[in-house]
Amino acid sequence: MTLLTIVLMALITFTTRYLFIHPRLPVRLGAKMAKLLSFSAPAVLTAIWVPIIFVQQGELSVSLQNPYLISATLAVLTAAKTKSIYFTMFIGLITFVLSRYLLSV
Amino acid sequence: MALSKKKARWLMARKGFFDMLPLNLAVLPWGILCGSLAVQRDFSALEAILMPLIVFAGSAQLVAIELIANNASLATILFTTFIISSRHFLYGLALRDKLKVLPTKWRYGLGFLLTDELFALSSHSKSFVGQLRLIYAVVAGGSFYVFWLLWNVAGVIAGSYLPDLTHLGLDFAIAVTFIALVIPTVINLPILVTVIVAAILSVVFKLMAFELDLVAAALIAMYCGYLTDRFQHKHKRVDKPDDNDSLDETHNESSSDNVTSKKHSSLSVEDKL
Repeated sequence: MTLLTIVLMALITFTTRYLFIHPRLPVRLGAKMAKLLSFSAPAVLTAIWVPIIFVQQGELSVSLQNPYLISATLAVLTAAKTKSIYFTMFIGLITFVLSRYLLSV
Repeated sequence: MALSKKKARWLMARKGFFDMLPLNLAVLPWGILCGSLAVQRDFSALEAILMPLIVFAGSAQLVAIELIANNASLATILFTTFIISSRHFLYGLALRDKLKVLPTKWRYGLGFLLTDELFALSSHSKSFVGQLRLIYAVVAGGSFYVFWLLWNVAGVIAGSYLPDLTHLGLDFAIAVTFIALVIPTVINLPILVTVIVAAILSVVFKLMAFELDLVAAALIAMYCGYLTDRFQHKHKRVDKPDDNDSLDETHNESSSDNVTSKKHSSLSVEDKL
């Protein structure tokens, strides 16, 4: 039963990824639609990471006691300043580990 | 300057690997979590490994494991998987004009590999165009698949020895990676508006426990970015009445992209690097 569920899930995830790149699908994207879709990467990726920072166990957490918020703020500043993926991750993770440790002491 | 074809391919493959490497590492805790959680919730090793092997999804895997363990109905599990995966429709749409012209094998392969992570690396206006950029995409996406599988297997092996990892703050690794990817792309007002609206709405919808939170927040944010762009162009046109309509330009560019990719012209590596 679990096996069947997993196979069906695989069909669903593949379909959601593949459907719109199938050539025979009768979808034509106009210039306006293409422009709209050009904003999809910043929109979706932001909608993935921001709730991780601000929502914990279903509740809003905006305080200096929130290690996610402290580290994310520093990471955003680092990313804006350096534009380096590796450096941003390094600063963000170090701050996160440190602030978690310091806040729990 | 003059690179041999083989050398150029190798360079693009290398670049794809190293561009994806930070993402591959960032999902280590997430993958181990998926693998070990499956074992802890009484999945067989085969079932636990089949998840990353064929479902190949992060949050959908985690949520489904919990649902299956709680004996949720098949319909609930599949519907939830669909909702969580529905953001991929946007990726397919955004890349449609570039990917639909590819030969079947490449299309199925890249379609399967089209995760958040590969999409995040696909924002270049000529991504997937020409053989070299396809190599880049397949190596980037393929390495993500291999690493995801590896981390899951590690989780399955470590399985019951690991404590419950769900509250260790492992998700921060994902957040910081996406911060590193998104923030440098904020180069104009429309994108800034998109990011801010997506940020606010995603939090509000999450707090409301709205099931389509991610997709709804993203769609509204995209529309706000689009409107900002239109607004800017309208005002520009008042200043310079003979300014060409930029929307037409983007259209022309995308159609000429298709022609290039059909020809499979090899591009100079410097162009991409």
